[in-house]
Amino acid sequence: MQKILRKKSFPQWVKKLESYKIYAPAKNGDVWNYEAVNHSEDIDLDYLNSVLSPKKIIFPQREIFLEFSTSNDGNPEINEVLPEENPSVIFGVRPCDAKALTLTDSVFGGDFDDLYYWRRRDQAILVGLACHNPPSPNCFCLSVNGSPHSKEGLDILMTDLGDRYYVESLTEKGNKLLNLGNKFFEEPKAKDKKDLEKINLASEKKIKRRIKEIKKIPPQLKEMFDSPFWDEEAMSCIRCGICTYLCPTCHCFDISDEVLSSSPIEGKRVRTWDTCQFPDFTMHSSGHNPRPDKASRLRQRILHKFQYFVERYKNYQCTGCGRCISKCPVGIDIIEVLDKVRDYGT
Amino acid sequence: MEPNPYIPKLAKIIQIKEEVRGARPVKTFRTQFLSENGFSFRCGQCAMLSIFGRGESMISISSSPLVEDYLQFSILKMGRVTSSLHDLQEGDIIGVRGPYGNGFPIEKWKGKNLIFIGGGIGIAPMWSVLHTALGKKEDYGKISLIYGARTSNDIVFKEELEELRKKIEVHLSIDVEEPEWKEFVGFVPINVLEKKPSPENAIAVTCGPPIMIKYVIQNLEALGFKDEQIFTTVENKMKCGIGKCGRCNIGLHYVCQDGPVYSWAELKNLPQEY
Ligand SMILES: Cc1cc2nc3c(=O)[nH]c(=O)nc-3n(C[C@H](O)[C@H](O)[C@H](O)COP(=O)(O)OP(=O)(O)OC[C@H]3O[C@@H](n4cnc5c(N)ncnc54)[C@H](O)[C@@H]3O)c2cc1C
Ligand code: SF4
Ligand code: FES
Repeated sequence: MQKILRKKSFPQWVKKLESYKIYAPAKNGDVWNYEAVNHSEDIDLDYLNSVLSPKKIIFPQREIFLEFSTSNDGNPEINEVLPEENPSVIFGVRPCDAKALTLTDSVFGGDFDDLYYWRRRDQAILVGLACHNPPSPNCFCLSVNGSPHSKEGLDILMTDLGDRYYVESLTEKGNKLLNLGNKFFEEPKAKDKKDLEKINLASEKKIKRRIKEIKKIPPQLKEMFDSPFWDEEAMSCIRCGICTYLCPTCHCFDISDEVLSSSPIEGKRVRTWDTCQFPDFTMHSSGHNPRPDKASRLRQRILHKFQYFVERYKNYQCTGCGRCISKCPVGIDIIEVLDKVRDYGT
Repeated sequence: MEPNPYIPKLAKIIQIKEEVRGARPVKTFRTQFLSENGFSFRCGQCAMLSIFGRGESMISISSSPLVEDYLQFSILKMGRVTSSLHDLQEGDIIGVRGPYGNGFPIEKWKGKNLIFIGGGIGIAPMWSVLHTALGKKEDYGKISLIYGARTSNDIVFKEELEELRKKIEVHLSIDVEEPEWKEFVGFVPINVLEKKPSPENAIAVTCGPPIMIKYVIQNLEALGFKDEQIFTTVENKMKCGIGKCGRCNIGLHYVCQDGPVYSWAELKNLPQEY
């Protein structure tokens, strides 16, 4: 379903969606993040890339799995705590962040469904906004099977045509949202379609960064597992973990018990984000650590994204959002690392 | 509704046996679920045990699937969770979720000689498969066990091992000399070279500390065992047990799901990060 929405009608459409919880990019100080919004007028779709991707709405940094307590007979009692039934709409999702959710989908699905993830995922409707201007100088979606106007993983894709949005619904969920604001939408005319094409082409040209010949990278990484290259590359890493915490595709987590009272026992089991960049992540109780140094952990981040994930799920575990490049305090640049990998030993 | 894989089932500890005292204590726990909800497993699979307020630990099921009355776990006291497990009494309630992992392909081993080679607490994952094979002894060829611990005090399943000698060949070892010790003194991999198990129509299973496994495999290869004849378990740190938290990842595998049991032929092709 393809429609045109005048920019001034956008808040009116959003008002019609009052049965949903609405998330949108919100500016706090200098930075953007996805927050719950109460007034449709507050939504500003002229935003730069958010610090955290909307992954945090589906897979929050911290969530409760279960609560435990002591029952009258002195035995432990547990209560499953699943996310509430709360249909939501996320506006302004960048195509790379939407694609990232299709990647976390493969991990949280499979033989065991992660009910916490799917409860939020299934209830969320993703309304994307094509990037007519790249939101970051480090965007490189075109290198990893994406594009600034990619529809993958989205329910609706909106494109800014100046005074109006081109709105394309891609799923049943998307159609439902458009129908709720039926009277605000117009049928697209030939000119709208032409403008859309123009904007899409121009937006691709504005993406400056590329991983060249990416197909050569996974087999090359396999060869380089034992290479001294990783020691050199990891030298400056201060192992802060930012690269993985900000990544829209990283999914590693920890599970721990938080105790409110120790007698009688009462508390909760929580899941929190974790990172392969910390030594504790893999260290056994005996002190033995299969990934004992920065080199093996940087290697893990790169190989997981560009070799292992490709082997397991037939996709790069990277959507080119550029966050890890922009935010690494010591300037480790995944594109430069991969460029060196490709040319290593030649 | 679909089952929530993170919610443990409650189980009562019906028996605790002190296997090893001293600095590296081991206890064997038998548990029964409070409500029956069909926990069927293969040998070599594991379960996540919880003590609420302390956390969870992945532990191999050391009883055989042929035993239906209880699940057995043999646990070395290490840190937070395993120490709390050691403090429990019979009748206490813990959480159990699982079973996880692939298990040993023992259906494919019918008609073959089985050699089990273990070190320390590494006997726990082998105990299940060893007893399953013994339960159907007619299906297999000769079964033998080469097992070692640091000192005679650290030997797990001491009494059962003496019983076992009546049924199969058992070779024990300790790392350093002790006055009363009559068997081999030295590391397990050396004892393997000493006892020279034949690779002829055989499968070797080895579990123990990573460094022991490494040398046992080298020595088995020296004796002529092929990569496909050698099986081991990988015990990477684990949290979720279901291929989501990323912790146990090596290469394209999540050890909790795709392992922990690997033939050397398979393991060799994965990044050496265990
Ligand atoms: C597949 C598998 C089978 C195992 N089978 C047995 C067994 O039969 N008997 C036995 O005694 N031990 C076994 N272990 C090791 C056991 O899981 C760890 O010793 C235990 O988790 C340590 O937890 P802790 O809280 O006592 O130690 P701490 O050091 O306090 O650990 C904190 C947390 O880290 C994690 N952790 C630390 N080390 C390990 C590790 N080596 N493996 C997995 N998680 C770890 C656990 O989640 C633990 O809760 C097995 C491990 C794996 C992976
Ligand atoms: S953000 Fe940079 S410094 Fe921090 S862990 Fe990642 S690579 Fe290392
Ligand atoms: S333990 Fe979480 S992925 Fe294996």
